[in-house]
Amino acid sequence: MAVEWYLVLSALLFAVGAGGVLVRRSLLVILLCLEIMLNAGNLALVAFSRMHGNADGQIFAIVVMVVAACEVVVGLGLIVAIFRRKLPLNVDDLRGLKG
Amino acid sequence: MLSWLIWAPLAVGVIGMALPKRLAGLWAIAGTAFVLGMAISLVTGFDTAGGMQQTTDVTWIKGLGVDYSLGVDGLSVFLILLTALIWLPATAYAAFQGQDRPQLFFGMMLLSETATLGAFCAQDLLLFVLFFDLMLIPFYFLFGVWGKDIPGGVTARAATLKMLIYTLVGSLLMLVGAIATAILSAHGGDITFSMRELAAHPLGSGSQYWIFWFFAAAFLVKMPAFMLHGWMPDAYRIAPLPALAVFSAVLSKVGAYGFLRVVLPIFPDATVHFQEIVLVIALAGVLYGSIMAFTQTNLRLIAGYSSVAQLGFITLGILALRPDGANGALLQIGNHGLVVAPLILIIAVVAARTGTDDLREMGGLATRAPILAAVFLIVILANLAMPGSANFIGEFYILNGVFQAKIVYAIVASLGIALAAFYSLRMYQKVMHDRGPEGESRSREISYRESLAVVPLVLCIVGLALYPQLVLKKTDNSASSAVAATCLRGANGEISVANGYGCPGGLPTFGTAPPANPGLELPSAGLEPVK
Amino acid sequence: MSATTWGWLVILLPLLGSITIGLGFRALPERAAGLIGVGAVGLAFACSVAMLISLLGDPAESRHHASSLWDYANAGGLDIQLGIYVDPLSVFMALVVSGVSALIHIYSYSYMQSDRGYRRFFSFLNFFVFSMLLLVLAGNFVLLIVGWAFVGFTSYALISFWYRRETATKAGMKAFVINVVGDIGLVLAAFLIFRELGVFNYEEVFAAAPHHFTTNDGTIVAICCLLLIGAFAKSAQIPFHTWLPDAMEGPTPVSALIHAATMVTAGVYLIARAHPLFELAPTAADISAVVGAVTLIIAGTIAIVVTDLKRIIAYSTLSQVGYMIMGVSIGAYSAGMFHLMTHAFFKSLLFMAAGSIIAAMANEQNIDKISGFRRAMPFTGACLVIGSLALSGFPSTSGFFSKDEILSFATARGGWYTAFGVAGYVGALLTGIYSFRLVFRVLGGEPNDEAKELMDTGHVVHGEPRNPATGQAEDTEVGYPGAEHHIAEQAPGMKIAMGALAVLALFGGIVQIPGLDDLVTKFLEPTFADSVIVPADTTGHEWFGLAIGGVVAFAGIGIAYFLYIARPGTAPALEKRFQGIHDFLFHKWYFDEAIDFLIYRPTIAIGSFANRVFERIVVDGVVNGATDVVRSAGGVVKAAQSGFVRAYALLLFAGFAGLALYFLIVSS
Repeated sequence: MAVEWYLVLSALLFAVGAGGVLVRRSLLVILLCLEIMLNAGNLALVAFSRMHGNADGQIFAIVVMVVAACEVVVGLGLIVAIFRRKLPLNVDDLRGLKG
Repeated sequence: MLSWLIWAPLAVGVIGMALPKRLAGLWAIAGTAFVLGMAISLVTGFDTAGGMQQTTDVTWIKGLGVDYSLGVDGLSVFLILLTALIWLPATAYAAFQGQDRPQLFFGMMLLSETATLGAFCAQDLLLFVLFFDLMLIPFYFLFGVWGKDIPGGVTARAATLKMLIYTLVGSLLMLVGAIATAILSAHGGDITFSMRELAAHPLGSGSQYWIFWFFAAAFLVKMPAFMLHGWMPDAYRIAPLPALAVFSAVLSKVGAYGFLRVVLPIFPDATVHFQEIVLVIALAGVLYGSIMAFTQTNLRLIAGYSSVAQLGFITLGILALRPDGANGALLQIGNHGLVVAPLILIIAVVAARTGTDDLREMGGLATRAPILAAVFLIVILANLAMPGSANFIGEFYILNGVFQAKIVYAIVASLGIALAAFYSLRMYQKVMHDRGPEGESRSREISYRESLAVVPLVLCIVGLALYPQLVLKKTDNSASSAVAATCLRGANGEISVANGYGCPGGLPTFGTAPPANPGLELPSAGLEPVK
Repeated sequence: MSATTWGWLVILLPLLGSITIGLGFRALPERAAGLIGVGAVGLAFACSVAMLISLLGDPAESRHHASSLWDYANAGGLDIQLGIYVDPLSVFMALVVSGVSALIHIYSYSYMQSDRGYRRFFSFLNFFVFSMLLLVLAGNFVLLIVGWAFVGFTSYALISFWYRRETATKAGMKAFVINVVGDIGLVLAAFLIFRELGVFNYEEVFAAAPHHFTTNDGTIVAICCLLLIGAFAKSAQIPFHTWLPDAMEGPTPVSALIHAATMVTAGVYLIARAHPLFELAPTAADISAVVGAVTLIIAGTIAIVVTDLKRIIAYSTLSQVGYMIMGVSIGAYSAGMFHLMTHAFFKSLLFMAAGSIIAAMANEQNIDKISGFRRAMPFTGACLVIGSLALSGFPSTSGFFSKDEILSFATARGGWYTAFGVAGYVGALLTGIYSFRLVFRVLGGEPNDEAKELMDTGHVVHGEPRNPATGQAEDTEVGYPGAEHHIAEQAPGMKIAMGALAVLALFGGIVQIPGLDDLVTKFLEPTFADSVIVPADTTGHEWFGLAIGGVVAFAGIGIAYFLYIARPGTAPALEKRFQGIHDFLFHKWYFDEAIDFLIYRPTIAIGSFANRVFERIVVDGVVNGATDVVRSAGGVVKAAQSGFVRAYALLLFAGFAGLALYFLIVSS
């Protein structure tokens, strides 16, 4: 199978993730969409790795997964902390950075 | 050796951040004392005859020609000592006083020491600019966070912001100037920021003229010079006094040092060309600072405006472009640092006793605090350049240089001496003598700890008064060669305003004069004459 | 030991004394501090004598030695040594300074005993002696300036010794600032000398000057005029004289030592020291002589009307220093120096006597309130009379020989210099009048309350002391003498010092009787050997001058007797008759007001203008402009900072998309 199909899938996944980040307001969903985007990247890495016939890309993919896991830990932690302080879980209401 | 000296304070500061609160101050004192020890050994090992010493030269950013290049010569050796010498008592005083969040406070103090020492040691133009800008950062926090708002007046934040804007504008102009200098002098070849190289191949006078002002702006703001001193009153009013002591004693001197280190050697034509303008600015600073100092009633502001006047004298000395003026300026840089630091610490002591910085609410402190009064008196006398103090020798050299170069400036500037006598004594009298508004003084004697911070500095003042030659003999060679750079250019006929003074062999012939001092001979500090 | 070694000892001993007392001010008992002070100066005097003996051992033409301890400041072409210069002139000055100082220290040892600031006083007083000796022994112009400024500073410190007295601190400030103006004159003169000759050392400067300058060269005149600014400020010559009368706010021994005997005569020393320069600039010398003459007459007229006991003596000091300045400016060097010496004797004697009376009056100094002390204080009275006799040049006293020698030199020189002689005799007449006005009013008349009490009980007790000028209660805690004064002429130290000075004031003149011994002239000969002003034999003139001087002194004393004893109502009547003149004199020719109006107020006005207008509008305006620019630039960026996380994300994606597009286009 040609590598293009994997890339198309990866691009679609990435677009879904990006669209989710831009459109959704719930923190939790945005976090999920971020994960989707990361996995889209992973898919592309693995595909290229297969194409070139060496394992470098797959190792990168594993590293990205570790990073993603860390990110989820921090992200979920933040979400729980926000929830505990009875703040809205809506990103549009969290505007402390406004200049 | 120099790298150790520069980075030791920062290392101490970083370690200190991890220490518990009550140890932070002591640790910082130990650190600054260690740095002082290194600085003293540096000075004792300094070879009076030699040029640049203790050099370190490591390529840092190869593509840009930036080197991590350090060294000391006669220009910087005593400034390094001064820095180390002032930081110790200021840190000690701050530690005895007690600070909020001490780890951070002392961390910032030590970071600023690193930056200042770096600026004095840097022999690479870009490195110098970086250290020069790095000095600003810790003081932004020291003034902004630990400063005190003036009730009904300026807030610490606003004053700090004002200072930041002023100095940042100057610094950025200097950065642009430094890059422009390096690029223009490379003529398409390899770029270098080495001061030595840049001085050996100066730019054409056209480019010098505009780049000169970029550098002058940074240095004049830092001093601060007349008209560029707008940030000074507010910053002096809010600053925490121990930080202000080092700021006023050392940081303002970096500007004057910059003229000698950078402007004179690298932009000789422009210096000669704009000599009169800078002299006028300096002279205005002398008169304006003095006059302002005796209308103020806030002790900090008197110290501040008096610094404006003193820096004016120092600039006059440098821009006289004669060896005696430059020597005097270097001596006076040290003297003024040695005087203004204890002065500000004494203001802190006095303020701690009276609860105010305002002269009108003080009086008669000497009754209960004779030792404080005596110490204050010595500092005041040195501040007004009493003959017999090293400050007098500094001003004598400066004014002598200006007198021989441009007689009118010297005569007008000597008015500044009379005014200095007036405002300094007025300050002393209003604090120590006469009577306070309530009649009875609530003063108490200077405490043991406070005197530990102040008295050693005063002893240094007295010691230097007996033997100013200690400084002069080490600065002589380098100061002469720094000004010699301007006259060597004058000789090749490229510029119209030839500086006939301060040139080797260019001194007026004397009736039965002894031969000119050997210090006047061709520079030995690595500045080659321009062919 | 060589003369210069003794010279260094002379300088160092008082310095050591001062440091010892200063550092030990908590530990030392008061008496010990006083003894150290007296001892240090006494030893300095002994060393001065040793220096004299050592110098006299040399042949006359080599009686000058220079010595340097170390390079004081030697860089950039300037060579300044920490060096002294010992020659007859400096030895003469050192002897006078240390000798009179020693006596005044002895006097102070008793006089200041009820004062809380005893140790501080002796520390400063010793430091003053050190500074003055440094001044006279200095070997170059820079060190001269150092000594010059040190004496100015100690003068300040001692004038405002009672530092919670506002009149005293003001007076101290005034003295200091005027003296700094003088210092600047000297500094500029030194620059000019350096520019022309390239050296600061006396020997080299004086050796080189005649070859470098032609007579009355503009530059040398400028140098001398600048030196004169220094000399006038220090010696309180018009128009720099206003600080000296105010300086009387200080303790009386200070007035005797600094403001009569030693420091104010430094200007005379300077002119004598720099005589090779002044002789090259006759114009400057003439200016100086005229100023001296004008001062001696103006000060004399003021002294006739002021009513403050010490200020009368202060104006007489101005006037006498005027004589000296005039003398050394017209070339009568040894006569001027001789008058400096005798003046030191009789003027400090007068001050000491006045101090004794003031102590009895609890610091009341108004002579309208003092009368009839002749029997209450006979010893003081006798000293006052002796001092006044010498001051007015009564025949056979020391002032008679010294003053009239200057005047006869002036007449002997002839030409328009005769005018100086005439001015001097007018001044002498005034001197006779004002000095005996003082004597007759203080000693004559009915005894006042204090005098009576002193006669009845042997001591005086007063209430709380008040400052007569402001009515403020004195702060006795910081050193002002307290309520009880019982030192008036009873303390042995005061009697010893006054007795010794009385003898010197009466008989000091015998060292220089014209045509007989001329000891001073002979001793100073080597210093002034290079002088070009040598009038013909003056002995005949001198005897003639002495005769006139004697007659004038008699006349002055007679007028005073007539006004204040024989017809006591005459003086007030004259005062009414000539109200305008009296007011003019009483306001001291309005010099203070003029200086206030011309210099002080404009400076303050500029300062407050700078503060109110310039600082606010121009300097702050620049800043505010800068902040406005930054702020509006910030406003633009601020809009982008919406706080919507999703907007940021959109921006990020757009950015990446743009970047990707760019690479696509570039790579294809």
